[in-house]
Amino acid sequence: MKGTVLVVDDSAMMRKVVLRILKMADLEFEAALEAGDGNEALALLRTNTVALIMCDINMPVMSGLQLLQQIKEEKLAVGVPIVMVTTENSEPQVRQAILAGARGYIRKPFTVDHIKNNVKPLLAT
Amino acid sequence: MSESTTKLKSYCVGDFLSTENLDRADATVTEIFKVMFGFDIKAIEFPNSGLPSPNLDERTAIVGFSGSMRGSCQIRISVIAARSIASAMLGGAPIDEDDDSINDALGELCNMLAGGWKNGVPALSSKCELSPPTVISGRDYKVHTSKPSAKLSRQYQFDAHTLHLTLYRENVESPGE
Repeated sequence: MKGTVLVVDDSAMMRKVVLRILKMADLEFEAALEAGDGNEALALLRTNTVALIMCDINMPVMSGLQLLQQIKEEKLAVGVPIVMVTTENSEPQVRQAILAGARGYIRKPFTVDHIKNNVKPLLAT
Repeated sequence: MSESTTKLKSYCVGDFLSTENLDRADATVTEIFKVMFGFDIKAIEFPNSGLPSPNLDERTAIVGFSGSMRGSCQIRISVIAARSIASAMLGGAPIDEDDDSINDALGELCNMLAGGWKNGVPALSSKCELSPPTVISGRDYKVHTSKPSAKLSRQYQFDAHTLHLTLYRENVESPGE
């Protein structure tokens, strides 16, 4: 898969899990960037071009939803699919994420099939 | 009566301690262990006291609930079991005993269990928030919670290890709340 994926999660373990499952779903990117919080993610997005962003919602310092707003405000990663990865699956949370610019939503725990069904189609468009 | 208290009424202590809630906890644990780690896990029908063994290195992960229900989700396991979970999360990669990723994995597991459980309760799903996980490690320690009004404990067996899960629901109907 061409391009770079950015995984944003305060858990280094979850970042590795997301990258491993993307690979298992035949979505192995040329390069992978990891950010432990929203500020790190913004710094990476200001200096790198990415093809996909996988982002946790519940993070300290800056939540995933706040990060989405900031990405929008700074006009970073325009047109890049952003997929939220979280334990939350309540309707208001999903609505908020979509309104803030997320293109997809994966609930933990997730499987290879979840990634194939919910992330792969976003990259084909 | 505040909105949060009204919502809480719809998920009372009786609901929290119900068989349905126990089944919900079991289903959440089973799903997460199967999907994330590939482990079959079963509830132990006749568990031991659940008290920590003073000679065993253990880890406890805690995720707090706030909003329409206050309380916490706690899991306690041996270091060996925690290491096994961290390794399984990384697809079987070897993990050193003092690797930070063990605590990270345990915190994530607790977060998924807390989130999975509360998402299954309609009265809590969107009205209850989770705190970032905290992990305690050591021997012969006690975790004290602030006046729980209800406690749901369960033990599970996976891959020759035991997982202790406890859900606490605090009494938020005290004066001033």
